[in-house]
Amino acid sequence: MFIQQLVNGLTLGGVYALIAVGYTMVYGIIELINFAHGEIYMLGAFLAFSFVTMFNVPFPLAILLSISCCALFGVILEFIAYRPLRKAPRLAALITAIGASLFLQNIALMIWGGRLKTYPKGTIPEIFKSALFYLGDVKVSLLQYNIITITIFLMFCLHILITQTKIGTAMRACAQDKTTASLMGINVNRVISFTFAVGSGLGAVAGIIVGVYYNAIFPMMGYTAGVKAFAAAVLGGIGNIPGAMFGGFVLGIAESYGAGYLSSGYRDGIAYAIMILVIIFRPSGLLGRKTVVKV
Amino acid sequence: MPKRIPRYTISFFSKNQPVFYGLLLLVVFFIPFYSFLGDFHERFMYISIMSMLYIVLALGLNIIPGFTGLLDLGFVGFYAIGAYTAGLLTLKCAALGPPWDILSNYWVIIPLAALNGALWGILLGAPTLRLTGDYFAIVTFGFSELVVLVIVNEMWLTRGPMGLPGIASPGIDLTFLYPITRFFFENPIVYSFKGRVPFFYLILFMMIVTIFIMNRLEDSRLGRAWFAIRDDEIAAECSGINIMRYKVIAFAISASFGAIGGSFFARWFGFISPVSFKFWESILILCMVVLGGMGSIPGVILGATVLVSLSEILRQVLEPWPDLVQARYALFGIILILMMRFKPAGLIPLSRVKRVMSTKDETILQTMNESFFSVSTDRKKLSKDR
Repeated sequence: MFIQQLVNGLTLGGVYALIAVGYTMVYGIIELINFAHGEIYMLGAFLAFSFVTMFNVPFPLAILLSISCCALFGVILEFIAYRPLRKAPRLAALITAIGASLFLQNIALMIWGGRLKTYPKGTIPEIFKSALFYLGDVKVSLLQYNIITITIFLMFCLHILITQTKIGTAMRACAQDKTTASLMGINVNRVISFTFAVGSGLGAVAGIIVGVYYNAIFPMMGYTAGVKAFAAAVLGGIGNIPGAMFGGFVLGIAESYGAGYLSSGYRDGIAYAIMILVIIFRPSGLLGRKTVVKV
Repeated sequence: MPKRIPRYTISFFSKNQPVFYGLLLLVVFFIPFYSFLGDFHERFMYISIMSMLYIVLALGLNIIPGFTGLLDLGFVGFYAIGAYTAGLLTLKCAALGPPWDILSNYWVIIPLAALNGALWGILLGAPTLRLTGDYFAIVTFGFSELVVLVIVNEMWLTRGPMGLPGIASPGIDLTFLYPITRFFFENPIVYSFKGRVPFFYLILFMMIVTIFIMNRLEDSRLGRAWFAIRDDEIAAECSGINIMRYKVIAFAISASFGAIGGSFFARWFGFISPVSFKFWESILILCMVVLGGMGSIPGVILGATVLVSLSEILRQVLEPWPDLVQARYALFGIILILMMRFKPAGLIPLSRVKRVMSTKDETILQTMNESFFSVSTDRKKLSKDR
């Protein structure tokens, strides 16, 4: 039971980590809680589903298409909603983000309807289905194994991207100081767009994974997952990418144990409670440094 | 002598406030007699009651983003607390017999609900209000979600998702005055609310009181301290304002208005369930404040009226398509985005909010963002360093 919950928690945590990274990257650069990020995750799940069921696209191709569409959505969202407000008070940008989230969620509701969507039999390759193997008496489905490895692989890629490449260096420079970065010849707008694209793409991966794992896709899925992932980002110290990954896994495991041992009804509450406690007692997060306010 | 800046950018509202409220009252007071509306009258009454309820709620919320400049995403939590306080007291205490059944009397419940709201406001606000800006927003959001989760899960108390049905309507029971009234009437005066008209006048009365209180608050010492905090936290602190104290007071007052609104909702509908207290309800109320103009009392009144009417009319029009009824919230999302882009100070803007929200001045912007935005645990030290 204990280890079983750990495996479930790691799976869930991987998903949260993928979403949380998107939040934290955007926050790191433009200092905005992108509430619509959870909605991008939901759109990722829906788009992959639609490509597979409506257009009969093979599943791997559908994944790629869905990720690219979501990355594009992220860039468009930033361009239309957030960019004009970059020089406006923060409150305005935050309210815009909430508006965008509300809008996207209800657009999805209009297009796909409020009913739960499930992948029909045979649309997902067998390898993704629950072909189980056992570690002792712990049941690990192949799907869970895949999810955990995919997550860790993507995290690794992201880490390389941020630390080793030119655009990654530019992103870190913008996170520190946009004005100085632009004086050094960095195209700040392009870097911000790129950040949104990467974050949204990872969010879409998480959405697709959850869609397959629970085999349940619905317009409201983005809202709870989004907030929990934000909690994960806060837990690890917002703006801190390894922190977000760590926070995601911690939160996933905590939620899984909480649901298993305490009460399954309060499953969502555990994430919120952790978030509130962390914000109150350690607002810079578990891994974050003491926040230095720019004066 | 320096020129006095008018309160609102639209001069009608700065100069003719009594005229505005007088006209409003005159039009609204006779709504139950608008029989020329024919079949539409019932519906119109419903929309009016809803509008007035939301005006009370939106004015309550307005204290936080409008007066103190913080974002509160969890207002519906206090609304739910008020509604369940009223619902549970009504249902449980009526069965207890005297002396406890006095607690099921609506006129006793109103102050109790307000107190309970304020209590939770203080409990939540005291530890979290030192965080400014977006962290505070997300904590309030988490709180309101937790409130709903508790309501859903604690079946023994709240019956969970099944909700609380059969909450009695309020009434007026003047039996205790019988020794006096018997000189005028034969029987003790007992009146139980039936139909929409008494509820209409009840909420009208509540709305008038709320508007009155808000207007007085705005000009009071408390209100001026809030505005100072909103405009520049450091300057306010340097002028001797105890920021934490004033913020907690703001939060408690705001919460108690939410709870009063909730108590009315419970006794009016007679049925409450967790579905009524979803997160989007908070955003809808926030949208009213943003549409009308943050901090602007006539603006918030206008915003609430417009949005409630719009929401109800759309609900009617879209009835044949159940999915679209829910999806009408997309419109509110667009309203939020467009308002922030083109008219960030709202339809009836306060001059000082407009000046700040549409500023191009880097220093003003920076001050504003700092006080909204920083995790201000080190605020004291920082201002000293500076």
